[in-house]
Amino acid sequence: MNRKYYIYIFTCTFLVVFFSCKHNEGEYHNLNDKIKAVSKTYHGTLSSEVLIDGIKTLEITEGEHTFLIPERKSQIKSFACIECHNVGLDKLQSKDIKKAHWEITLAHADENTMNCATCHNGADMNSLNTLTGSKVDFNKSYKLCSQCHSSQFEDWKGGAHGKKVAGWAPPRASYTCVNCHNPHDPSFKSRWPSRYNTEQVEAPQAESGH
Amino acid sequence: MSEKKKWYSLDLGLNRKKSDTACGCGKTEGGCGSHKPEMTDDAFLEAAVNASIGEEVRKDGFEQVFDVKMDRRSAFKKLTASLLIGAGAVSTSCSVISGDDTKEKAQIDWEEQFKGNYKLMNDEEKKATVDRLMRSYELRTGKNISMTHENAEEDVLFGYAFNISKCQGYMDCVNACIEENNQDRNSQMQYIRIHEMKDGKGFNFNEADDNYYHEVPAEGHFYMGTQCFHCDNPPCVEVCPVQATWREDDGLVVIDYDWCVGCRYCMAACPYDGRRFNWSKPEVPENEINKNQHYLGNRMRKKGVMEKCTFCVQRSRKGQNPACVEACPTGARIFGNLLDPNSTIRWVLENKKVFRLKEDLGTEPKFWYFMD
Repeated sequence: MNRKYYIYIFTCTFLVVFFSCKHNEGEYHNLNDKIKAVSKTYHGTLSSEVLIDGIKTLEITEGEHTFLIPERKSQIKSFACIECHNVGLDKLQSKDIKKAHWEITLAHADENTMNCATCHNGADMNSLNTLTGSKVDFNKSYKLCSQCHSSQFEDWKGGAHGKKVAGWAPPRASYTCVNCHNPHDPSFKSRWPSRYNTEQVEAPQAESGH
Repeated sequence: MSEKKKWYSLDLGLNRKKSDTACGCGKTEGGCGSHKPEMTDDAFLEAAVNASIGEEVRKDGFEQVFDVKMDRRSAFKKLTASLLIGAGAVSTSCSVISGDDTKEKAQIDWEEQFKGNYKLMNDEEKKATVDRLMRSYELRTGKNISMTHENAEEDVLFGYAFNISKCQGYMDCVNACIEENNQDRNSQMQYIRIHEMKDGKGFNFNEADDNYYHEVPAEGHFYMGTQCFHCDNPPCVEVCPVQATWREDDGLVVIDYDWCVGCRYCMAACPYDGRRFNWSKPEVPENEINKNQHYLGNRMRKKGVMEKCTFCVQRSRKGQNPACVEACPTGARIFGNLLDPNSTIRWVLENKKVFRLKEDLGTEPKFWYFMD
């Protein structure tokens, strides 16, 4: 009798303790654990393929990253370059004819570091050349940038630097260096913000006053 | 469909086919009034009373609010508002001179007034309310909008990373956000705040300039943006007395603008100043309205409800980036799926030195900051 009583109490206590300890909040210690655990069974279905449908892309593999970048050559107005540059640069120089590319001024590093020939190949204008003189396709111009900007290149490969073409969903399509930076003048310029900042009621009135 | 309805619907004879099988009020005979094709004003009033305090069995939708024990006096007090609307609907709909459009408008208004919480709706009900809202807009303005009700995708948890060494304070993101999300043009409400901070002082929000208007980037300053961080453990959701805000399965913290009572508890509970309140009726010029809308996202709000960043739910659930990410000229904003091991946001979290604001609160914001 007494023993049955004890067993009864023990069972009740066990059940109460067992169920009261169950709650969902404790399933993961923090968000990082949760992300790691849940993503083990990842099988995403959403695709951004329709979003990049009209955009010509090419797939590149750099290190362990494989992704799409926009095709460049079809976007350059005067490509192919050899339509004009059919002879070597030295033979094209002349005093009387109109200057081509007159609007380009180089504001990239200083004159001691870079000039046109750092990237362009005077003998073959249809492709670019690296510091050691090997050819680089215009579509893969990022290979030139990465010669100096190695940390930016690492970030870009991983996705911490630069922008996506359309959406977050796979397949990954990232803009390449020249889609945001003008290679002849790559820095972002200081300018006015595109609108007033938060809750600035007085500013528009002050502006209209003078 | 009417069998499963969680709230009473007014039948003005426009949806005759639907109401043939069962009555909207759930009763099969007597007492309801909507079985008779010709309805008197009295019958409508009775129907309205039934709808509000009737002995409905399913405790859902508006009954969550109405089906509580109370005395006669307060019950009638609470009913007055809905009765007035009912009476309004009756007078418009039963009028001989008003056209079909007016009747349809009244029917839509009735159904919208007494619909349930979006959080509890099934897909059919979600579609119905979205269709009603689109039709209502068409009836009122003569123009069409497209509103969707996509649910959270499986295996998606949205996350955001902000590069404070890239942001230059151009405010293009804010511009894009306002246009995308149909924000009120008069009150200067902005979901995103860009803070101008002095170099070497750290994140000192007290000394940050949130109202700068000068050429940027300013010498000796850096810029950082804040918005709703879509916490995984959101305190704003906890405090909402009517459950008008909740966390979706893909991690988005959303608001049902039609269920919100405007108490602003959530605004007070948010440690990040992520929520905004409509003090006046939001107004957007007709030609500037973004017509691609989502029920939980950028559809037109009304006076007296909360709103906030939804990571552009109308875009992100289609695989697109939020408008701010797309607009940022410097690439300071990274958005993606935290559950995809190959996503760029995961690479940022695993390879950059990231941190979040007020991490010690345990709110688990899904918005990280990092530097180059």
